[in-house]
Amino acid sequence: MQEAFTNNLNPTPVTDQLVARCKKGDVRAFRELYDAYSTAMYNICLRMTGNVTDAEDILQEAFIQVYNNIGRLAQAGSVTAWIKRIVVNQCLSHLRRKKVYFEEVEQVEVEEEDAVDEEGFTWTVSAVRDAIQALPSGYKTVLNLYLFEEYSHKEIAGMLDISESTVKTQYMRAKERVRQMVKRQN
Amino acid sequence: MSDNNLEDFIRQHRAGFEEEGPRPRVWKELERQLKASQPSGKVAYLLKRHWLKAAAVLVLVVNSVMLYQFLQFKKQQQDLARISPELQEAQVYYSAQITQRLEDIRKYPPEVLGLDSAARKELELRNETFQLLEKELQQNPGNERIRSAMIRYYQMKLDLLDKILEELRAKQPPSKTLNNHEREI
Repeated sequence: MQEAFTNNLNPTPVTDQLVARCKKGDVRAFRELYDAYSTAMYNICLRMTGNVTDAEDILQEAFIQVYNNIGRLAQAGSVTAWIKRIVVNQCLSHLRRKKVYFEEVEQVEVEEEDAVDEEGFTWTVSAVRDAIQALPSGYKTVLNLYLFEEYSHKEIAGMLDISESTVKTQYMRAKERVRQMVKRQN
Repeated sequence: MSDNNLEDFIRQHRAGFEEEGPRPRVWKELERQLKASQPSGKVAYLLKRHWLKAAAVLVLVVNSVMLYQFLQFKKQQQDLARISPELQEAQVYYSAQITQRLEDIRKYPPEVLGLDSAARKELELRNETFQLLEKELQQNPGNERIRSAMIRYYQMKLDLLDKILEELRAKQPPSKTLNNHEREI
């Protein structure tokens, strides 16, 4: 089995052999693994925290965990999902330390917005990115995990220790807020 | 515009949302921490991953050595018992007596004892003469002359140690050494 995950800047394929070398504690092999994944994983950290320094610190901690625990990785083919989960967990721990609570929807007061007139509505990357970063941390986390990291509502519910219905509701409300903010910028 | 438009837009422009990677300092710091946490290369890696196996092997080796030594000792005793049961009884008796005398002698300081290391070594129970006789007896189990020589060796050794102890007691009375065994003897 061969893993072929690449990122945009360092298209280095990650092979079973590379993972095997990492398992033996080979730091040079680990550098190759880092090069293959660091940009993609850094982007996760950056989206989740919105802060370069925090994102780099989290990335560093996550890769130390990867190095220390790669021996427990049963299948080299699942290395992408495994590293990504470590990074996401590290981000969530960071958010919890920053007192971000992922509450059940009944406990969250949501300001209902008026429906947005969609005539002449234009999405842009920068507008969407800014709108997402402006979301409350709880909404931003749910939206990022679902839209960018492609976890299911059920998986997100498990990660945040809230119900799946809460995740769905928070996601819908987050999306609505993004749309309203982008609309205002138009 | 439907709700799905945000999702569609992000899917279509996914690469546009990606920033450049982390600064080089992240790897430098990471590498520093990794090297600091590595005890010492391959051996350490193997020990880290296989410490339980290594410990088990060590225990097995130690146990094997101890078992081997025990069996060797037992074999010697069994050999002697098989070769000559009477001699084994004599050996048990004389060994205990000689060991006791040697312990008493060792309680005297070297300046009182007045023997060099070679002489002290010769006084030990299993000296070269003893080992030679033991070997001969194993090779010639039925040889009465060797058995007699072994018994004679024990007796002479015991006599010699008694004489040494007498002289030592004359030089330094038992009360000064506070030795109960000497008083009994």
